[in-house]
Amino acid sequence: MKKIFVTYVLMITVLLVSACGKQDNGAVQPETKAPEKPRIALVMKSLANEFFLTMEEGAKAHQAAHAERYELFADGIKDELDVNRQIQLVEQMLSRRVNAIVIAPADSKALVQVCQRAMEAGVVVINIDNKFDADVLAERGIHIPFVGPDNRKGARMAGEYLAKKLQPGDPVAIIEGVPSAYNGIQRLQGFREAMDAAGMNIVASQVGDWEMAKANQVVSALITEQPGLKALLCANDSMALGAVAALRSAGKLGQIHVIGFDAITAAVEMVRKGELLATVAQYADQLAVYGIEAALHLIETGAAPEDKETPVELVSAETVK
Amino acid sequence: MYGRYLLRSLVDYIGLAAVLALLIAAFGFATDYFFTWTTFRTIANQIPDAVILATGMTFVLIIAGIDLSVGSVLALGGAVLGLALVRWQAPLPVAILACVGVGILCGAVNGFFVVRWQLPAFIVTLGMLEAARGGAYLVTGSKTQYIGTGIEWINRGNFMGLSLPFLCAMLVVLAGQFLLSYTTAGRSMYAIGGNEEAARLSGIAVGRVKLLVYMICGGLASLAAVIHCARLTAADPNAGIGYELQAIAAVVIGGTSLMGGRGKVINTLFGVIIIAVLESGLVQIGAQEPLKRLVTGGIIVAAVIIDYYRRKI
Repeated sequence: MKKIFVTYVLMITVLLVSACGKQDNGAVQPETKAPEKPRIALVMKSLANEFFLTMEEGAKAHQAAHAERYELFADGIKDELDVNRQIQLVEQMLSRRVNAIVIAPADSKALVQVCQRAMEAGVVVINIDNKFDADVLAERGIHIPFVGPDNRKGARMAGEYLAKKLQPGDPVAIIEGVPSAYNGIQRLQGFREAMDAAGMNIVASQVGDWEMAKANQVVSALITEQPGLKALLCANDSMALGAVAALRSAGKLGQIHVIGFDAITAAVEMVRKGELLATVAQYADQLAVYGIEAALHLIETGAAPEDKETPVELVSAETVK
Repeated sequence: MYGRYLLRSLVDYIGLAAVLALLIAAFGFATDYFFTWTTFRTIANQIPDAVILATGMTFVLIIAGIDLSVGSVLALGGAVLGLALVRWQAPLPVAILACVGVGILCGAVNGFFVVRWQLPAFIVTLGMLEAARGGAYLVTGSKTQYIGTGIEWINRGNFMGLSLPFLCAMLVVLAGQFLLSYTTAGRSMYAIGGNEEAARLSGIAVGRVKLLVYMICGGLASLAAVIHCARLTAADPNAGIGYELQAIAAVVIGGTSLMGGRGKVINTLFGVIIIAVLESGLVQIGAQEPLKRLVTGGIIVAAVIIDYYRRKI
């Protein structure tokens, strides 16, 4: 038993040492060659979430292809609500003397303060994914450029596509994300606008917490109470997957249209099979890259920071490859 | 003596059944379709994983332990199941064995640390909560793995409108209650929860029983994972977050003491059903999220207060 324990300790030590070694290679070596190369930090939300993982992988691929232009330090928190940890991450990045921080804030208000400190220290800050609260920014008298998709527009596109498959007055239901999330609120608004414009009857709007299991349970109860329901608009794909599973167990698959958002792998597969009517792609792998490009542009030209909208696209049976 | 015992269990069940009946009546009155066969069948199909998780938790709470890792172990089990079915193309029984094996292993690790170094179960299982979640992310590559039709039939198969998972959950409850009431191991669990030192002095192999309990709990968590994945036809690395607290809530509503030494699996089943009826009913009423959480929290505390008075009878 003791032997095993010692082996473990050894293994962990070796792993730690090799991990440190890697970091040093990445950070120190290039500096000696080209000290003027900008150092860009990417501070992500939950790396447990496929969406952010794809974002990070996209950024790393971009850096590998443009290694001569900049260095990348990517890190993220373990779950999307760990605001404190993310503030610490930003501080750590500052002490690593980065030139720019590209951040997907876990909270649209709580992260403003530390980002302002970064800007005062002369660091370029670019906001991606979750937009900082406009009121907080105004109150502090700062502007942080937002580079990202218009979630409301994406949701409206999906809603309009859905409306073509329905008759005016048809009952539909919305499955919302976490109520406090900015992008969730934007998607809810987009869905509502599309449904109201097409004259649909929104009979229920329930919170599914972005989660498959929670959405599954909520949808199961909903379709019992609303037997005539024609469509479910889910604010992300995980919840759409949960909704489809609920319809399948109730034997109502194909009778009720489901739409999602994010175009995760499993959801695109379901669109192909016709189980999901549509989802919205916002090119997760490119989102961080757009932010990095914007940061590089600012560093290189010293131009005034501006917001930039990135593309969203509907993924439906007609467009899926 | 036996008659008194029977009377007390009857009071137990009647108390819980009354709460349940009250809830069903209230929701039936407030909505159009709650009091229908569809609603009850839907609830029956939603609860099996929760029932199985809570059954394992009942044993752990009876020995005055706690297992915070069940939600993460469920995710890890599901991840292994998905990996075996999709990546390795393994036949379903093999995949299920691998899944349950991983769960039992997690439970064994929990039990081993608790017994060998006398560590608080709270800390050990908190560690497992993190570690198993990390394992689930590793195995799935942090991506939701779509499993599809290979596993879907588990949820489809039915007997008189009741799904296979539901029957399986009932079987687990009956077997669990049998273990507690009619076997030496079961009686040892009550003894350990009541007074561990006294149990040791009276010759009970405390360590071995505790290890067994954590292994059962881990194994049941991964069995719940099979059912969870079958319902969602996908393995989600973020599955089961917060399930440990839901399971504890269900067990406590069922009157099992957090201090150990007292509790029944059958009552836990009532606890799970009460929570499920509540959640389903609140959706059907169209209640908004803040209200849902307020009511659910209120009912948990109310149930424990009722239990306090019930015990005085």
